Amino acid sequence: MTSRRTFLSGATTVGAVALSGLQLSEAASGDAAAPGSNDEALPAQWFEGPDPSIPKLGLRWAFSARVFFADRVMINTMDSPAGRGYTSVGGGDIWGPRLQGRVLPHSGADYYKTTFNTYYMLQAADGALIFIHNRGTMRRFASHYEPGKPLLPPPAPPASQDGVWTRFRATSYFTAPIGPHDWMNRTVFVANSQRQSNPDHTVFNYYEVL
Amino acid sequence: MRDFAVPKTDTRILGKVQLEYAFKLTAHYDPPQESHTPRGTFRYQDIVSGELSGERVTATVYPDSGGQYDTIREDRVRDVDAHFMLKTDSGEWIYMEHVGYRRSDGYYRAIAYIETDLKGKYEWMNNTSFVVTAKESADQREVVFHYYIAN
Repeated sequence: MTSRRTFLSGATTVGAVALSGLQLSEAASGDAAAPGSNDEALPAQWFEGPDPSIPKLGLRWAFSARVFFADRVMINTMDSPAGRGYTSVGGGDIWGPRLQGRVLPHSGADYYKTTFNTYYMLQAADGALIFIHNRGTMRRFASHYEPGKPLLPPPAPPASQDGVWTRFRATSYFTAPIGPHDWMNRTVFVANSQRQSNPDHTVFNYYEVL
Repeated sequence: MRDFAVPKTDTRILGKVQLEYAFKLTAHYDPPQESHTPRGTFRYQDIVSGELSGERVTATVYPDSGGQYDTIREDRVRDVDAHFMLKTDSGEWIYMEHVGYRRSDGYYRAIAYIETDLKGKYEWMNNTSFVVTAKESADQREVVFHYYIAN
């Protein structure tokens, strides 16, 4: 895992790569990177509880989306209960074993409060329009989070967030037309989300919950 | 023809989501009440009681604090929308929301969003996505939920 500082410097590299072509990079994160492509489905990963009577829960990478942003606007400020951000979606691309296509340009935005809350449209390679609503959760930790360990609160604001480890998760609800993408209407998804700069975009990796 | 190119191979996943088991909730409901609406069949179920237990938390459902406000769709999938309150053994309040799908093939999964005191003992539940697997009894009056943290 990486600190936010190294995360951001890695992100700059990715941005440059993104500008130059359609290759996403290994450099973006210290997380264990798994290969992924349109043709190659990754195996499901199963998680279990402390005792065998607890049902296992599986995640399987379904697709990824790279979403480029256009406007960034703020109504009030984020430390106000009335704070509302607006970050419009300029476009993007989608790849992976279960969905390929694009983010429909200018089809919506992230209208966030403390974490994101997006409404926009995807367009599958066969032309199907798919509505995506993402709700996000975000936590910052003073140090790298380890499962099962008590959480350390982040340093007191307004200290710089450098060095704070951030867990950003998207939970996504899709409305897809009846047909080949119908499965998205009845599947729970969780995604990780990595904000990149230069150009301003976020990569979401969507996992279906099995 | 579309005016975009789908990227081919050689892309990489920039990180993984890992699940960590958190706790179990056994919830008891009144029988469901269904009504026909323009959106499909609306299915209301009052939550009567429940016990939540895990390594880091023990709580009980606050009786009649909510329940399920689900919709049975044309394709028979049920859109789950549950809201209720719990109280921990140390007296703290917890708000829980669930959004997910219950299918006739036994797939019952949801995401839970939890809010509790930012200065309390259970602050770790806030701002976290919990991935939930659930199982209903035959009469649908008992549901066992297992929660995993999406790390």
